[in-house]
Amino acid sequence: MTELLLQTVVNATYAASYLALVAVGLVLIFGVMGIINFAHGEFYMLGAYCVVAVYADLALPFLLSVAVGLVFVSLVGMAAERALFRPMRENPLGGLVVSIGLLLILQSLATLGFGVRMEHIPPPSQTVVQLAEGVGIPLQRLVVILAAVALLGALWLFLRRTRWGWALRASAQDPEAAALQGISMAVASRIAFAIGAALAGVAGALTAPLVRTYPYMGHSVIVAAFIVIIVGGIGSLEGAVLAAIAYAFAHTFVTTFVDGVIADIVGLLLMLAVLIVKPTGLFGSRDRA
Amino acid sequence: MSKILSTRLSRRRLLSAATTATSALAAANLFPRRVFGADHSVIKIGFLAPLTGDVAAWGKPGLDGCRIWGEWINAAGGINIGGQAHKVEFVAYDNEYDPAKARAGATKLIREDGVKFIMMLGGDTWPGVQPVADNTGMLFSTLLPSDLSPDTATLVAPAEVHPIYNVTGVDWLARNRPELKSYVICAQDDALGIPSVATYLAAFEAAGIERLGDPLLFDPATTDFAPVVTRMLASKPDIVCLDTAYTDYVHPICEQLYLQRFEGQIISCTADFYDKIIERTSREFVEGLVFQFPDFDDPALETQGVNFRNPNRFFEEYAKRYPGEWGAVSWEYASIMDLWMAAAEKAGSAEPDAVLAAMKEGGKGLHAFGEADWWGTELFGIDNALVGNWPVVVIENGKAVIKEFGNIPEWWVKHGDLLVQHMEAYGQMHYQRG
Repeated sequence: MTELLLQTVVNATYAASYLALVAVGLVLIFGVMGIINFAHGEFYMLGAYCVVAVYADLALPFLLSVAVGLVFVSLVGMAAERALFRPMRENPLGGLVVSIGLLLILQSLATLGFGVRMEHIPPPSQTVVQLAEGVGIPLQRLVVILAAVALLGALWLFLRRTRWGWALRASAQDPEAAALQGISMAVASRIAFAIGAALAGVAGALTAPLVRTYPYMGHSVIVAAFIVIIVGGIGSLEGAVLAAIAYAFAHTFVTTFVDGVIADIVGLLLMLAVLIVKPTGLFGSRDRA
Repeated sequence: MSKILSTRLSRRRLLSAATTATSALAAANLFPRRVFGADHSVIKIGFLAPLTGDVAAWGKPGLDGCRIWGEWINAAGGINIGGQAHKVEFVAYDNEYDPAKARAGATKLIREDGVKFIMMLGGDTWPGVQPVADNTGMLFSTLLPSDLSPDTATLVAPAEVHPIYNVTGVDWLARNRPELKSYVICAQDDALGIPSVATYLAAFEAAGIERLGDPLLFDPATTDFAPVVTRMLASKPDIVCLDTAYTDYVHPICEQLYLQRFEGQIISCTADFYDKIIERTSREFVEGLVFQFPDFDDPALETQGVNFRNPNRFFEEYAKRYPGEWGAVSWEYASIMDLWMAAAEKAGSAEPDAVLAAMKEGGKGLHAFGEADWWGTELFGIDNALVGNWPVVVIENGKAVIKEFGNIPEWWVKHGDLLVQHMEAYGQMHYQRG
């Protein structure tokens, strides 16, 4: 039983890691631009397809393909911000519709480029790190966890210790006051989108060999990410990370000890309970975007 | 008019055009009726299955197989109905495994395309189509007899008796690996997964193999299978059963079983693209995996009693046109067409009611893997499933090999009550389905 519990903790930690990356990116974009980006799951999907193209098809090193995924999806995010979302800055409903359109376009492009079938990605590593008797973690999953910790740590430092990090936080808290202080909202939005998309892209790239890579793979991730940001408090980065951990542990433990279908219901109940008890989410507040 | 003639047509051009037109008309009168009937020379068959999305692997390869079948039949003179040759043409509609889209597709195929028969994967999409079948009397086929009920008079399951044939794999395993004493099972929670769970439970119980824990059902949207596999392996089973999981699940589950150091037996309904499973695990790990869908280059298919047309040549042609795409359903829809064609030729008509009557005449039919019975009243409330032999396939040296053709009716005679009991427990009997 102890082995099973420990192995489940390991599985949950991995799930929390990539989910936190996706959710934090989503929160960052919402915080600065006020847009709920439904296409965020497709940024995750694009990252995975970078691995298909660079690692599986061109047989280049896996880590290089992850770097390509990070940069490419970041550029796609910046392009989307400039061409599609910035004109909708004062129109949240319009931004929402645009994000749905972008979602469909990106899915269609992936389908046209790679087909609808699941991609077969050779495993970069089949090494399993034994943590204890009967408890192990594949190296590939360990890399995801370490990368998530490193990237989220770097983001925290960026937001707390750099001028542009302060500018992003200021833009999220009060856009008008930030603009009066000379902060360019256009640049802040671009940076938020670049970082948010890059986090989703790198999550997709890192997990591509571990999950089903297909054009609609963003759907299940974005549903979980929305639950996470609602539970954590929309706009709260810390809330997103903690809610990702809570959601992943609840989902994984229920899947392991009860049923996978019940686990989905538990995730939704968790969101419902938080909305009833604290409608702004665990770490959300009315005046904090 | 005369001005137009005088300015645009020279006498030579006019004569030339008239000669060509006369020749064409004469040719039309002389030849086509010998080759393909003039007025209704094309019989259209509807292909209403998922061609995109999660379940596309059980639709698109079947359409590819049908296209080869159609080309071969047309090249051999077409379908002979009432002494007249007809070309066959497939009209495809992608239902994306969505009931509403399937319904729209069925309506379009019948009203706009004038098809005479519609082949479906079935499952979740059949409830959307059933009202169309009821209203039009169109003949439909499904790969999933669990769609059958007393209300589905024009729906037949002539190729695949899913999930009932899964009993043959378990029966073979019990006879050939008697040291395996326990099993666990997981499945996606949908119309394909649940009846298959009930069937496997019955088959393992009949074989005297102990179940360790309840079946683990997972959401079809699941992407990370580590928790599912951790749970299954916690009870240290001899056998892990993957039920009728889609290809997209079988591969990551197998990879997780490999990474979590499972060393026992795997049994699955399908193992499409098993070469990719080997790539993600190892040849040794996949050795001995039992499933139900052979590669058609297997010499066992060229033996007497197999009714599929040139299976080895079909596989070769398929592999040439669609390299790496061979899957469980690549041959199945084509085998349904064999049966439909034989019935239409026997009936002398392509009309749905006449073909259905001819198809079921005498209560027997030529299934791909041998003569079979139209059966199903006990389980589905209607004898519209063609049930006979089904192959048991094992991976040996990295290649799928048919080990035997199991007889489903024989298993049913011995253990039918168990199957009914488990189907009832999961609400899968025809009188329990909504």
